[in-house]
Amino acid sequence: MTTSSASPKKAPRKVATRKRASTAKRPGVTKKPAVKPASVLIVGAGFAGLGMAIRLKQAGIEDFVILERANAVGGTWRDNQYPGAACDIPSNLYSYSFAPNPNWSRSFSGSEEILGYIHHLVAEFALESHIRFEKNVEGLTFDEKKGMWTATTDKGEQFAGRAAVMAQGPLSNCSFPAITGLEDFKGHKIHSARWDHDYDFSGKKVAVIGTGASGIQIIPELVKQAKHVKVFQRTPGWVMPRPDFATPQWNKKLFEKLPASQQAMRNLLYWTHESMALAVIWNSPLTRIAERVARLHLRRQVKDRWLRRQLTPDFTIGCKRVLVSNDYYPSLQKDNAKLITWPIARLSEKGIRTVEGIEHQVDCIVFATGFDVSHSGTPFPVKGRKGRVLGEEWEGGAQAYKSINVSGYPNLYMTFGPNSGPGHNSALVYMESQLDYAVKGVQKILQGDLKMLDVKEAVQRKHNKAMQKRLAKTNWNSGCKSWYLTEDGFNATMYPGFATQYAAQMADFEENDYETA
Amino acid sequence: MASIDLDKMLAKIKSTQWALSDIDWDAPGAELITEEQWPKLKDFMADLMWIEHVGARAFAAMAKKAPTDTLREIYTYFHAEEQRHANAEMALMKRWGMLEGDEIPEPNINLRLVIEWLDRYSDEMPVYVLGTVVPMLEIALDGALCTFLLETVKDPVCHQAFEKINDDESRHLGVGFTVMEMQGRGKTFIGATKMLAPLMDPRLLLGIASYAPLLNKMRDNIITMGLPEERLYAAMAKFERIGGRTKDGRRNPWYQVIRQHAKIVVDRNNRAYHLPVDGLVKLTGMIPRKALPAVPSWVKELTYQPTA
Repeated sequence: MTTSSASPKKAPRKVATRKRASTAKRPGVTKKPAVKPASVLIVGAGFAGLGMAIRLKQAGIEDFVILERANAVGGTWRDNQYPGAACDIPSNLYSYSFAPNPNWSRSFSGSEEILGYIHHLVAEFALESHIRFEKNVEGLTFDEKKGMWTATTDKGEQFAGRAAVMAQGPLSNCSFPAITGLEDFKGHKIHSARWDHDYDFSGKKVAVIGTGASGIQIIPELVKQAKHVKVFQRTPGWVMPRPDFATPQWNKKLFEKLPASQQAMRNLLYWTHESMALAVIWNSPLTRIAERVARLHLRRQVKDRWLRRQLTPDFTIGCKRVLVSNDYYPSLQKDNAKLITWPIARLSEKGIRTVEGIEHQVDCIVFATGFDVSHSGTPFPVKGRKGRVLGEEWEGGAQAYKSINVSGYPNLYMTFGPNSGPGHNSALVYMESQLDYAVKGVQKILQGDLKMLDVKEAVQRKHNKAMQKRLAKTNWNSGCKSWYLTEDGFNATMYPGFATQYAAQMADFEENDYETA
Repeated sequence: MASIDLDKMLAKIKSTQWALSDIDWDAPGAELITEEQWPKLKDFMADLMWIEHVGARAFAAMAKKAPTDTLREIYTYFHAEEQRHANAEMALMKRWGMLEGDEIPEPNINLRLVIEWLDRYSDEMPVYVLGTVVPMLEIALDGALCTFLLETVKDPVCHQAFEKINDDESRHLGVGFTVMEMQGRGKTFIGATKMLAPLMDPRLLLGIASYAPLLNKMRDNIITMGLPEERLYAAMAKFERIGGRTKDGRRNPWYQVIRQHAKIVVDRNNRAYHLPVDGLVKLTGMIPRKALPAVPSWVKELTYQPTA
């Protein structure tokens, strides 16, 4: 793949949002697949699904179908368009190495620009014809005799493929949190991942519940717009400074004319982030240094001792997601903003009642409360060999082999499957390893005309035993509650190591680890 | 009072929340405060409100050091609940015309010193130190001050508010005594002695130097209001009785320290204690307000308004 000279920002957005005429028959009319089986079925047209498609194409596999539940591509970046939405990994690292963009406007790009990049990928790699929009997959079933996966949509349409890739994303579903009185509140409610762009915040009293990665990006923007913003915090996170700069024109030109210079920058960013693993993943002297940096950042930006205390985390850095922001702390200290750390008792008709007995009356509540992360289930029923159901097998916590395959579910590949989450480096770096691994698997299936390529159960068990042993020594398992862990404290989310180790794990496709038929 | 299941207690706390807006602060009855009562009640309520508020800050410190997640969450709730009590008591003061405009009543100098100490050092204290002092203060509040207040004041809104406050306080005490027992459980002589090590900590010594005169000052204030001194002493005896009901409780050295101290406070004849402490009350009374640093910003969180 050559470096694209086109600016993703200028990429035609509509190209990948147009509804395509479906060739599917009406629901219930037939149980046969609506179209002839593809080589690969991909669920989801976000970064993962589109990346998968690109790598398949580059490997010469053109016969694939992408099923997307919405009417546009982009996944997380399509859904998370709240004010201030941006990536907290530098764009030169939070992008595909096989599709570099020399034109990133800032070191940390906003969500609109990232979405532009995704649209650009669709155009650049001619993926549009492969995407079936508004196909909300509600089940995946494997037919052992035919060696075929069938995806069934909510409208009853069926799509079949010899291999399937679950690229629906771990952070794609959201809902309002279970707070008492949620339905009693008569004002406006907005979830950060389903932003209401028509709501005018000017002159409004607003509450924001949640101070995680989304919350700390939304709050500074709302403080600029709304009459008053009350921020309801349960647990403060560690906030690091954000070295965010506008990219000078000469830099863009340099990256465009000399792609090696951008690769060098990417490498620099990669290794800088890799070194952060020593502070974030494991408890080491560097962890103390990272905490010191965050404390200094807080001390520099917040002069009031009590406010500093309210904003100081009481868990080891890295145990929860590390936040980056330069404007969050200053925004909390504006005259029209207030941090509230009293626990929420309930929502009432006019606002939020906190345990100190006061009803905080607001016009609108913004829920920056994160996503529904499934540690022990699947987003839709996945049925494998002999009718086994993945969600049932994962009740005690999700497990896979190398995060990507699950024994009993042949020819099925997962992006961001169990234990693949990064805490310190770009998710897309991990993703690239997964995509290339899946391509190897698909190639083996197609070239060997295999009905089944199924990881051996013993191999998977051994892999997970080692994984959990390593996880026990990480900061994630050091005692704080986070979305990385199940209620029982089982970590089915994170990969306990460097991105380089993960890449090494995914580099080889050991055929001996698999049962074939 | 048997030891309680803290998880069940947390669920109970969450399900029994109330807000200032649950009470009609303009309901009739405010006129039942007599002219004679009014000035004394004003001072009494101001002290009471401030004690609740410093109690709140102490719970905030305990939440930082709580040994389990459940206890951490319970203390976080108690912190807010004590603040709610202070807010409700301020709402009563507002109802009785005891607040000038939106002004928060000034804390007396001894309270002011305790606030200063809590702000600077309480987060550094082990949980068992504040975990024993706080139940002592709460039992004094619950057993003596609040009962006395309800006997003296006929305003039904006051009774309504204190019914809710007392329900909360009984849960605070239940948890307080359970934790005191937890801290004493299985303690060897060496373990118990180690728990006393903070007594050598100058920061704690400073705390004691602000706590002791506060107690004496409060005793004097309450007696001025007409509360029989014995009531206060009976409350302290209750602390001794409940805190020492089990072997574990008695094994907690901080229970022993606070119990012994309470005995001394009660014994007016113990001149070795009262002379210097009363002297400290007088001495601290001479500290010019200007010499004190600005009040910490958590003090400004107090409000009598049910909505914000």
